[in-house]
Formats: sequence, structure tokens, C-alpha cells
Amino acid sequence: MHIEKHPVLSRQLLKPVTIYFNDQPYQAYTQQSVAAALMANGIKKLGVSRKLVQSRGLFCSRGRCCSCYMTIDGEDHVRSCMTEVEEGMRIYPNMDDPEVRREFDED
Amino acid sequence: MKTDVLIIGGGPAGLSAAIETASRGLDVTIVDEASKLGGQLNQQTQEMRPLPSVYEPMRGFELANKLIEQIKDFNVRPLLKHRVVGFYADGSAGITDEENVFPIKAKKIIVASGAAEKAVAFPKWTMPGIMTIGAAQILINRDFVLPGREAVIVGSSDFAMETAMQLMAVGTRVKAIIEKQSEASAKEQEKVSELLRNGIPFYFNSFIKEARGNGQVEQIDIEMPDEVITLNVDLICMDGGRMPILDVFYQLGCSFGFQEELGGWVPQYSNTFQTDREDVFIAGNAAGISTQGALLLTGMIAGISVSEELQTISPAEANEMREALWKELGLLEYKEVYSGRVKHLENFTSPVLKDQFIS
Repeated sequence: MHIEKHPVLSRQLLKPVTIYFNDQPYQAYTQQSVAAALMANGIKKLGVSRKLVQSRGLFCSRGRCCSCYMTIDGEDHVRSCMTEVEEGMRIYPNMDDPEVRREFDED
Repeated sequence: MKTDVLIIGGGPAGLSAAIETASRGLDVTIVDEASKLGGQLNQQTQEMRPLPSVYEPMRGFELANKLIEQIKDFNVRPLLKHRVVGFYADGSAGITDEENVFPIKAKKIIVASGAAEKAVAFPKWTMPGIMTIGAAQILINRDFVLPGREAVIVGSSDFAMETAMQLMAVGTRVKAIIEKQSEASAKEQEKVSELLRNGIPFYFNSFIKEARGNGQVEQIDIEMPDEVITLNVDLICMDGGRMPILDVFYQLGCSFGFQEELGGWVPQYSNTFQTDREDVFIAGNAAGISTQGALLLTGMIAGISVSEELQTISPAEANEMREALWKELGLLEYKEVYSGRVKHLENFTSPVLKDQFIS
């Protein structure tokens, strides 16, 4: 749930944007992180652990713990708590090992 | 890129170090991972006190804005959404904007990397819906998102008590505070009283036996002295304390000492906040976990020491200012933290054993 009226900071959510999680549209607001925007829409499970395939979600929200890795706009293993939402962003959960970014062909 | 002073971390300590150095005409660059300066102050809606005498009491985010406003008049280059990833052989810092890496050559470096929250482990503690108290506070006050409707808090520090009250203010039902000790660890007892007045039960000598849920936390068992109770919750906020963030100091090859009162392993530093590397200074929570007012003072001292090294103030002036700030630090921070800090300094400046430091 978005907090429309904050007890101290009053109304802050002004610019709505649409983001896509698993190709479904959800409403978010600029300045929110991806992980937070998904949580506002009831999505807490952002991926699974590599070995035991257990659910993972936002844990520290400040880019330290890496529990919130997701695939954002085609890039794997992005910390969703440190990435701000943008209009039309396409987000997928982190279900397995990432594609390593490659710019050149392997030798 | 070249700069006089490179400050790593744009939180309260980094900003107050920036004010001290930039106001004396030095060229300052601040690197911070976030999209806004101010660090963790940005989501602190509670009043910060006590603060150094130059600041009147104010809320955390107001203090962040005040500090940011103060650097505007000076030559400060903030590199936001940038990170330090390592150091080159010539001592330049390697900075990335997540696409490219480029070097910054600085005459002096001030590391104000801050603190990280520690976890409290129990079976299934890694499930979604279980987070640190700091994360819950970021969700409420920065992202404006409700992290859950029914919560428990594990731990009872001052920070945990404040977060519990802020959660209640946005409509989360706090079902219990779970504390493994026999009394609350918060130093300001009135926060505990306020929660008790609001009918929040404190379960002492208790801990979470297990969390359960399908894809996210739904239920917990709490082990109490005489019984085990089960609660339905969709949010667990854990307070495992904090520890200094040391990555950059490892990369710089600084030496460390263990000081329980300062949060564990802490880089060694002298009373000028200079580490064992003459070009590297330290400030803020990285130099020992403390309260906001104290963090500002450490940033000011480090900034003054760097200004002295770069000859924008005389050693006599610097000494006088440092002495006054140390005195204020002694008054402002919790006694055990301050005495831990003094011990930490003594261990560094007059070591008893020759090889007592890990580096």
C-alpha cells in the first residue's frame, strides 16, 4: 500500500508512473525504489536463493545485503532497493544465476 | 579528475567534513551511492538531539537539508549514484557510475562510509517480509510504502523504539516487541514508556523460535520463558545493532582494532581522525557507532585536520578548534562510547604490543 498522507511529511507521492512486473502493469511513484514500489503493490517475493531456492525479498533497503536482486530493463542482478522506478520499467524476479554482461566476444 | 579532498560518503559526517574543508577554499568532491546527499538522515523524522551547539534541535531530514544548503556556497562537487570500487597503484580512487570506471586523484581522502545493520538470525529469517528496522524506516519515510499491516519488532534499542512509533503512525499494528534480555536496551526510557502507554506488549527473555509462510512471512512462534506463543504477522523488523562499513579501509590497507563499544572492528585513528595512512582520514559511524550529534563532530574534526594538512589553517588554530570539538564530543556522546573511543585512540597512539593490529 502506498502511504498517500504521511503523518510528518504529508502528501509526497505526486508523479505516478507505470512499471511492469512479469509483464503485468503496476502503479508506482517517481522517487520510489523498485523494491518499495513492488511492496506497495503487495509483491514481497523478489527472487529465490541460488542453492536452496528459497524466497528472497527486500532486507536492508540500502544496497548492502543484495537480497533484493532483480532483472531490471534487461540487466540481471540489479539491486532493486537502490534503483528508482522509471515509466515503463520492465522488471522480472531473480530466479537463477545471472547472464554475465559481455561487450566483446570471448577469446 | 583531480581534487583537493575526496569524501567517500555524503551522510552527516561526510557533509560536515565537506563544510569544514570547502569553506576554507579547498576543492571538494563527495562520492555517494544514493541519489540524494544526506545519507540515512533523509528518512529520520524524529528529532535529533543533542546536536552540536552550532545547530538548533531539528528533525533528521531537516538536518540533512540544512547541511546540503551549507555546502551550496562552496566549491563542492557531489558525485551521486557513484561508487568507489577500488584504488589504483598511484593512490587514485576508482569511481564508477555503474557504466564506466574513472580515476580521481585526491590530495587527501576522508572516508565516511557509515554503518551497516546487523541481522538477528532465527529459522527462516531470510523470508520476504523480514527486514531490518532501518529498511522499514526507509520504506515508510522515503518510499512512502507501508511495509506491513501486522508487525513485531525484534530488539529494543532507541532506534527500534522510534521505528515502532513511526510504524504505528502510518497505520501498522505493532503486536509486540521481542527482547532476548530481561529489560529494554533503549537508553531513553521515555520511548519505552510511550510504547507501553500505547498498549504494546514487551516480551522479555524471549526470541523468535521460527518464522513460517508461503513465499513471505505469515506466522511466527515466540519462545518465552514459560510458553511458546504463535502470532500472525506480515512484517518482522529486526534490530541487530550496527557495525562500521569497512570495505574502503580494507582496500586502502588501513589497520584495524577491535573496540566493542564502537561496534566491533574499527579502523585505527588518532585524535586528528587520521588513520595509519597519512593521506586517509575517517569520520562518522565508520569511526565508531554513535549518535547523530557526535557523527557531525567527528566530521568537523576530520575536516579541520585535512584543512590543516593542506595548509589553509595554522596548526595552532587547528589544535584549538579540535580541542573544543573533542570536549563537546565528550559531553554529547554516550559515556561508554566516548570512553571506548578514547581507549581506541590510546591503543593506536601508544600500542602495548608491537603486532596487535590486523592490517
